[in-house]
Amino acid sequence: MAVQAAHAGGGIADHIHPEPQGFIRRYVFSIDHKIIGIQYMITGFVFFILSGLLAETIRVQLMNHAGGFVSNDTYNEVYTVHGSAMVWLVIIPIVTGGFGNFVMPLQIGARDVAFPWLNMLSFWMFPVAGLLLFSSFLVGAPVAGWTEYPPISLEGGVGTSMWCAAIFLIGVSSTLTGINFIVTIMQMRAPGMTFTRMPLFVWAQLATAPLSMVATTALAAALAALFIERQFGVPFYDPTKGGSPVLWQHMFWFYSHPAVYIMVLPVFGIVSEILPTFSRKPIFGYKMIAFSSMAIALVGFMVWAHHMFTSGLAPYLQLPFMILTYVVAVPTGVKIFSWLATLWGGKIHLTTAMLFALGFLALFTLGGITGIFLAAIPYDLHIHGTYFVVGHFHYVLVGGSLTGIFAGIYYWFPKMSGRMMNETLGKWNFALFFIGFNGTFLPMHWLGILGMPRWVPQYDPQFEFWNRFASVSSFVMTFGILLFFVNVIWSLRNGKKAGANPWGARTLEWQLPSPPHYYNFKHIPNVYGLPYDFSLPLPYKGLDEELTDSPAPVPAGSH
Amino acid sequence: MAENRQAVGFGRGFWIATAVLTVVAAGSVYFWYTLPISNALPEAILTARQIDDLFRFMAAVGSALYVFIFGYIVYFAIAFRAKKGDDPNAIGVQVHDNVRLEVLWTILPALFVVLLSIISVKIWYEITLQPANGLVVEAIGHKWYYTFRYPQVHGEITDEMHVPLGVPVTLNVTSSDVIHSFWVPAMRLKTDMVPGMVTTIRFTPVRPGRYQIICTQFCGTQHAEMNKQVFVIEDRPAYDAWFHSWQAKNANASDAVATASTGTVALAGGDAKAGQATFQAKCSACHAIGPYSQRLVGPGLKDVLHDPSHPSLVDGDAATPANVAKILQQGYKGDMGQMPSAQMNAIGDKDIANLVAYLNSLK
Ligand code: HEC
Ligand SMILES: [Cu+2]
Ligand SMILES: [Cu+2]
Repeated sequence: MAVQAAHAGGGIADHIHPEPQGFIRRYVFSIDHKIIGIQYMITGFVFFILSGLLAETIRVQLMNHAGGFVSNDTYNEVYTVHGSAMVWLVIIPIVTGGFGNFVMPLQIGARDVAFPWLNMLSFWMFPVAGLLLFSSFLVGAPVAGWTEYPPISLEGGVGTSMWCAAIFLIGVSSTLTGINFIVTIMQMRAPGMTFTRMPLFVWAQLATAPLSMVATTALAAALAALFIERQFGVPFYDPTKGGSPVLWQHMFWFYSHPAVYIMVLPVFGIVSEILPTFSRKPIFGYKMIAFSSMAIALVGFMVWAHHMFTSGLAPYLQLPFMILTYVVAVPTGVKIFSWLATLWGGKIHLTTAMLFALGFLALFTLGGITGIFLAAIPYDLHIHGTYFVVGHFHYVLVGGSLTGIFAGIYYWFPKMSGRMMNETLGKWNFALFFIGFNGTFLPMHWLGILGMPRWVPQYDPQFEFWNRFASVSSFVMTFGILLFFVNVIWSLRNGKKAGANPWGARTLEWQLPSPPHYYNFKHIPNVYGLPYDFSLPLPYKGLDEELTDSPAPVPAGSH
Repeated sequence: MAENRQAVGFGRGFWIATAVLTVVAAGSVYFWYTLPISNALPEAILTARQIDDLFRFMAAVGSALYVFIFGYIVYFAIAFRAKKGDDPNAIGVQVHDNVRLEVLWTILPALFVVLLSIISVKIWYEITLQPANGLVVEAIGHKWYYTFRYPQVHGEITDEMHVPLGVPVTLNVTSSDVIHSFWVPAMRLKTDMVPGMVTTIRFTPVRPGRYQIICTQFCGTQHAEMNKQVFVIEDRPAYDAWFHSWQAKNANASDAVATASTGTVALAGGDAKAGQATFQAKCSACHAIGPYSQRLVGPGLKDVLHDPSHPSLVDGDAATPANVAKILQQGYKGDMGQMPSAQMNAIGDKDIANLVAYLNSLK
């Protein structure tokens, strides 16, 4: 019915495909970017719960310096799968496949991504990869940490090979998504949406996609070699057969450093949408924020060996990696200062989404600062491989990425579901998460400096107090996260009806009904300005019909 | 508009907040510069002090900056929040950018990066360029212990390393199985022990004591147990006594092997040319003519008789032609694998003499 109305409108790009019928085609093997985005998020959060349980296993084990909760080998399996899953099955899929898919086409005024079928294929590799990784527990999961350095990763049973295959598969999926997003953003923006009028979330996805595309291929090659060496004995990494263990480290970090940016750049984008919306102010320094994302992505390719200062590289080779890593601080600083300046003089609405965005700002900044300590070769020789590193990257990936993910969910949940999330629960969620998080990961910095190595199921008794402190805090954090899930489930049924634009936001997705129609736009709008000018009328033409003849209201739950 | 901005953004509250943050930031700088780090973790080598100073510098700048960022987040969120009675459609001050400010906050961090680079390169230089003229020790990582080799001490010493106070140490590390690492927190120094590769670190101990050596690279089930090794630094007479005791202990052990051996080989008159041919035929599958670290199955042999950083052979004996001949004669099984004996390699005494002449001729 709505489809016919749209066809009657005529005008550019008004060719709308009919919506597929039947539950399977609509919600399981869907080619709609919005459904696929939500599928990514749901799947990602399922894996998040599983690897969160693994994290709590770690924290329970470390309550006592002598361990004793699980055996050494089980412990090693637990943290290896925890790390691998959080990176590859939770954060990366949620921020690219999840938010990227749901939000980006709506924000550029497109009806879908460039290759919807490919998009569906990318998605379905993801749960398969996840099941493969978690089922390795049945045969003995990998143990050598998420970095799986050979030669130790050449030992052991088939679990590590399953790990290779799973990560390879998720890598292919993220490469395909990268290609899909680049083509979409380059080719499918609404008329008038020049690069300098693109929402910052779209810029962030545009900076991320080439990283997923290029860096992931290096990882895929490294994984294929590891798999082949493990299963067929062709020596790539085994030094007793002429291989090189350090080769793996180069290939792995050539991917895994950019992967950090795959995990945070999209979150920069999320925050850059939330801050102006709830400050009722244009984002400060739009061009510098967009440009600095690209600069970070570029320099991010040239710093990988900062993970290898103790690996015995030629000394003079190490210096450029240190200095280039320092250089990343400049564009990162530009971003942080610009976000801060966005708050200044605003009319700030402290919604839960905004609180999480501010939380992101506070925590990510700290993670960035401790990163400098690790980049400084003289100090890295001390803290490499210790709990300092564990603290640092949890500030970046949990304090940064995960906090940003929560911000994004609280922000776009009304658009996805048509209902508001509960703000009271949301604030408890934020407070407990924030306090618990800091209590868990802040002490790790001094634990590492004072001599606690990572990857240990037992440790020196002198570190017991702060480990217990961290464990107890992590229970608080977990409880906060539990409230998040309660909130989502409760709000899906009982949340207030959201309407099209509950936040008064100005990007295109908020000018559509919540949730948007299958085809997104009846007419592709014309864009003639940046979305962030709160004093000006919306910079779009041709949106008049979008909200006026929505389908007749349907009872809750059946939409 | 400008006045309005003044009133909205730079009112009294802003300056009070800024003053408070400045005090807190100054306090944090003071905190880092007075923190007695060496009470919690001794500074056991010459460069540890500088490394801690680098830490103080980064921590001071980082925390001062962080105080401002975190403080302004909180202050802005409170000061600019939409209040209950406010018009729900009210908007903030519509500024898009401010070129001067943006240049400032690009240039200042860039200057900090330059400064930090200079400081870190300087310290890095001192760490890497420690004198190489002192004691040479080899450290080998195993699942799940360390062994050490000293010049003039036969064989290996397990799990304890002794070095004299004030003498520069050159430590060559490698591994016999997977990657381990050698970290002494009190020395602020760490290097991975990578199989098939020799990595060198240098340091000069300046504080007597027992310190932990810790493995930070995951190396298997008992990885955590590679934390218990102690590192002892003593003064000279005590060190010498320890050294001689090991010399005596291990010499007895290897004398037994020596008496069981088949006697010595006459090395005079070895022909390097002929030795090269034999090497190609019998040895090149396992040994490269390259540096020690260029490992095939056994180590590279180009410098075997001329490498100051590797003064003892794999069996702990000094790198002399006679001792190389002994290895060729008897073979040796160490942590890299099996060096076959003359009998297994099907070489005679004449071949050994030629091979030693050949190896001796390489530089
Ligand atoms: C099967 C492989 C193999 C062959 C063949 C072999 N070696 Fe070795 N060699 C080794 C290994 C392994 C070691 C190191 C043993 C250890 O320390 O674990 C070694 C050690 C040595 C060393 C001591 C090096 C040092 O730096 O201390 C010398 C000298 C040496 N081999 C010479 C030879 C010569 C000459 C031949 C040819 C006659 C030869 N090897 C053939 C495997 C081999
Ligand atoms: Cu990195
Ligand atoms: Cu270890």
